[in-house]
Amino acid sequence: MLAMMRSEWMKIRRSIVWLLVPISPLLALPAGLLGTSATDGAPWQEALALLAVLHAMLFLPLLTCVFAAMVCRYEHLNGGWKQLLALPVSRTSVYAAKLAVILLLLALVQLLFLLALLMVGILGGFAPPIPWGALLSSVLGGWIACLPLAALQLFASTLFQSFAAPVAAGVVFTMPNMLIANSAQYGPYYPWVQPMLAMIPREHMAFGAFGITSGTLLAVIGVSFAAFFLVGWTYFSRKAV
Amino acid sequence: MNSPWMIETKQLTKMLGGKPVVDRVDMLIQKGEIYGFLGPNGAGKTTTIRMLLGLARPSSGHIRLLGKDIRRERLDILRKVGSLVEYPSYYGHLSGYENLEAVRRLLDIPKSRIDEVLAIVRLTKDAKRPVKGYSLGMKQRLGIATALLGSPELLILDEPTNGLDPAGILEIRELIKSLPRSQGVTILISSHLLSEVDQMATRVGIISSGRMIFQDSIARLRKQAKSGIRMRVSEPEQAMRLLHGHGFQAAVESELLAFDDLPDAQIGAMVARLSEHGHLIYRIEESAASLERIFLDMTGTEGSL
Ligand SMILES: Nc1ncnc2c1ncn2[C@@H]1O[C@H](COP(=O)(O)OP(=O)(O)OP(=O)(O)O)[C@@H](O)[C@H]1O
Ligand SMILES: [Mg+2]
Repeated sequence: MLAMMRSEWMKIRRSIVWLLVPISPLLALPAGLLGTSATDGAPWQEALALLAVLHAMLFLPLLTCVFAAMVCRYEHLNGGWKQLLALPVSRTSVYAAKLAVILLLLALVQLLFLLALLMVGILGGFAPPIPWGALLSSVLGGWIACLPLAALQLFASTLFQSFAAPVAAGVVFTMPNMLIANSAQYGPYYPWVQPMLAMIPREHMAFGAFGITSGTLLAVIGVSFAAFFLVGWTYFSRKAV
Repeated sequence: MNSPWMIETKQLTKMLGGKPVVDRVDMLIQKGEIYGFLGPNGAGKTTTIRMLLGLARPSSGHIRLLGKDIRRERLDILRKVGSLVEYPSYYGHLSGYENLEAVRRLLDIPKSRIDEVLAIVRLTKDAKRPVKGYSLGMKQRLGIATALLGSPELLILDEPTNGLDPAGILEIRELIKSLPRSQGVTILISSHLLSEVDQMATRVGIISSGRMIFQDSIARLRKQAKSGIRMRVSEPEQAMRLLHGHGFQAAVESELLAFDDLPDAQIGAMVARLSEHGHLIYRIEESAASLERIFLDMTGTEGSL
């Protein structure tokens, strides 16, 4: 598995994902500086709520789709799968490594987002203390909420054997996020909206699917991740290449 | 305990779209052999090879590589197998060296091996360039280098000269011929041209419409090939009647006298008779296409065109 990761690193090292990783944090920085003020009641929470909307509603799900498609793209392009799977590697470790790369990239995105948020606060002169608990649970929660989507999109990317198709599907399913977040009934089960539900602080969004408790949301995320991973992994293990 | 066979399939079958694309194939390949796996387009070569490598599952039948069952000991087997399936695989955005490095990391072998295989396929100079800028022949050579990287005991090459120009074909052929001697490798090489493997294979298997219709040494195949003699003479019709009068079997085909293969002495006698009677003999030739002919006859591809 470690060898597998090192081989994946070789392939991703020189690809355009590195241009995609900092996009959302870079946009969050000016948006945060312009849209918040140190004189707000709780400026840190205000800034987190403001920036997390765009980031978690749009960028996180879209980036998850693109990263999933990306780690399969260079295998689709020129017969990579047949070469890779004819090597002494188990299909499980190949699949797990691909998923791990997606999750690592997303972790990096979240880390940069946290950094952007801290810079907004520091440059904006927000009053200390920094509410680490709220910030970290938002960033970490957003990352965890990407797990089911990452597993689902990785399955789609191996299934469609193309870069464009799974990304297009991801875009189509991400678009209605705002609407679906309004639905207390379906929202929590919709993988593209889960990052948003997990990231935006509850106090600021007390409507629709945000009414769900974090415990329930976490359970839904855990179960759907297990389900999507199992389906995707089973498919990949038996796939003829 | 050790099976003498590097590859052994029993009644290997693959159904695709309701039809048997590979049909009860028994393939046997011995250690150290260069085995030519022949068949026209769509015969089932690639499908067979993908099953050998565990890339696709057989519908029925068994596969043993290096004496082990591919279903049970796939990783153990693949550690000792190098392969190139259908067309070379590569990561275009990486250099040749990086492509090999990405594979090396999965094989757990020293870095120096990369330089060795690059030298074998003569890509050392271009190793630092992105592969998307390589010519087809270079990509093919990189594919072979990748296959050689793990110092395999068994090399499975599916049409490694696909799309190459004559010089490229010759080069790859020389490369492949040099391998078993220098590294003790067993090689399975597929092709749709008999002439291509003729000069390097020790044994051939011929597959047609999924069935293995011939599997034996090249020499055996040659024996089956009815080679003939052609003779261009001044008056073919008269010459034929003359020879018939002397008890020889002869026919006229497109202005040429045609005979089945004959011993030298008989040909000498015929030439003497013909000259005695004033016939001029312009040239005598062996019909060399005969090996290709029997391949075509066997696989029946001519009829299907
Ligand atoms: N998914 C599929 N469904 C139905 N038929 C298929 C499928 N894949 C391949 N075939 C058929 O299987 C047959 C064998 O294909 P295969 O690629 O093994 O031939 P081949 O001997 O490698 O030919 P070539 O010399 O052209 O490479 C072909 O007739 C092809 O049409
Ligand atoms: Mg083929």
